[in-house]
Amino acid sequence: MTETAAEPVRSEMKQPGRGYWSSVAHDGRKLGFWFVTPAVLLLVFIVVFPLAMQFYLSVTWWTPLDGVRWYRAYESFNSGDNYLRLFTDGAMWAALGRTVLLMAIAVPAQFLLGLGLAYLFMEQFVGRKIFYSIILTPMMIVPAVVGLIFFLLFQGTGPVNDTFGLPISFSWLTDVHRAMLSVIIADTWQWTPLMFLILLAGMLGVPSDQLTAGRLLGASNWQNFIKIILPRMKPVIGIALVLRAVECFKIFDIILVMTKGGPGVETETISLYLYKKTFADLDWSYVAAIGLTILFSLSLLAARGISHAAKRRG
Amino acid sequence: MAFKPFAEWTTGSGMTWFPRNPTLQNFEFVIFGHAEGLVVSLDRSILGPLTASLITSICGTALAVVAGTLSSYAVVRFGIMSALPLQVLQLRLFPPLAVMIPVMVMWAFIGAVDTWWGLSLIYGIVTLPFAFWLMKTFFDEVPVEIEDAARVSGCSYWRVFYRITLPIVKPGLATCALFVFILNWSDYLLALLLTQKNWITLPIYMSTLTSPMGGQMYGMKAALGMIAAIPPVIFGLLIQKHLVRGLTFGALKQ
Repeated sequence: MTETAAEPVRSEMKQPGRGYWSSVAHDGRKLGFWFVTPAVLLLVFIVVFPLAMQFYLSVTWWTPLDGVRWYRAYESFNSGDNYLRLFTDGAMWAALGRTVLLMAIAVPAQFLLGLGLAYLFMEQFVGRKIFYSIILTPMMIVPAVVGLIFFLLFQGTGPVNDTFGLPISFSWLTDVHRAMLSVIIADTWQWTPLMFLILLAGMLGVPSDQLTAGRLLGASNWQNFIKIILPRMKPVIGIALVLRAVECFKIFDIILVMTKGGPGVETETISLYLYKKTFADLDWSYVAAIGLTILFSLSLLAARGISHAAKRRG
Repeated sequence: MAFKPFAEWTTGSGMTWFPRNPTLQNFEFVIFGHAEGLVVSLDRSILGPLTASLITSICGTALAVVAGTLSSYAVVRFGIMSALPLQVLQLRLFPPLAVMIPVMVMWAFIGAVDTWWGLSLIYGIVTLPFAFWLMKTFFDEVPVEIEDAARVSGCSYWRVFYRITLPIVKPGLATCALFVFILNWSDYLLALLLTQKNWITLPIYMSTLTSPMGGQMYGMKAALGMIAAIPPVIFGLLIQKHLVRGLTFGALKQ
């Protein structure tokens, strides 16, 4: 991506010294600088400055309860105790584990469903357009509303139990194992469409003459699918999985509305855990430490992933 | 579910997929703050949260789209700050709660909590990456030759951008704006963290709907949920063709 971005500049710089081109290039760069200014200001405002502040807070015991202004937080400097505490914090690790579990179930489920749907949509059939719109709808709905919808559906007196003839006492959201399942179902309902959309786009990009050739050589639909479509779609599949995994890691609204992390802490993901630490315990400096750690480790992962992808492309 | 009368929610005697006596009572209630046949009434109607949602979403969208468009054009055409894309992309990677503490402190410090501009500002910032990447995919497709031609015939860079490039990407710009608007509209977390009373948005308002008698007002919540879902669904259907491009950050083309 960066290659294409830098190209125009390079082509202009090929003619140094010629009056017209150099002045134009100069002019263009000036305008370019003006153009990036707002975005860079916003980035500095939201990234550089807050991160510095977050680090500062994370090495103190500061909480808003003390009534001490944040810039005087140094009075309770603790030389990194928050970071040590992190390693022994069982609740945090459990929440992280649940987040990973949720990702490990929900993302593949959405992937398989999306892939199947996308394959169906390769053919023309009656009502294809209408079904397409219906399938895409869940993803447009506000996540908090999705949480509410499934909260209502899974009530003891709700429609799901009614349909399957289950007793009122058969509860979904307050049961230790079923609560997580309910959350996974809700997340899958909302985000399978996204998988479907991306995978369909990728699938339509597979050259159809290759498929025809495969069919002429006597390959069954299944063989075509495994041998031609899937390998061709590798990059798209990668993008879809990564995109969903990242978003799934951040899952918050749905769970907060559906179960509030309950019963107990059974559906408490890392976001919910941070939320509770922030508002129930007002343990802000510790939250800052966790946040920075997550940020740092994710950055490392992302940097590795991106460099990996860049290598493969080149 | 939004059409269920209040009584069918509270009886608890087996709920059904479809209401037995459909009614518009719930909508009446959330829109006007009261309804015939209901003893409870709200201390506020839907209008406050609705306008709050609309204003902050629109302002945040405008901010993100303007900043994102300009900067992505600069990156694509002039190659300025070509490391910017990765940094901007990384912004989307993290759970917002991991970085919200300093933002909350800052917002309290500059007095932005519970104001329309404070919420708009944070919306603009968090959706900037989407605006940036979406516009980048569109700008990437504008042939340089057209711009060069205009430039050779004497247009200044600004005029080229304003008169030629911008009209070419107009459909993209509309898509981008709608898309970012949907993102802002569906936010729950940021509004939860940065508003208290005056500028609570629709999703937050929905979660506060409980009747004075202690019952959850499910019917009203569902009605509100439906109202909140209307704009994104309509917009979403309008832009579904372009959605994939924005979501995959243009990486599909390579």
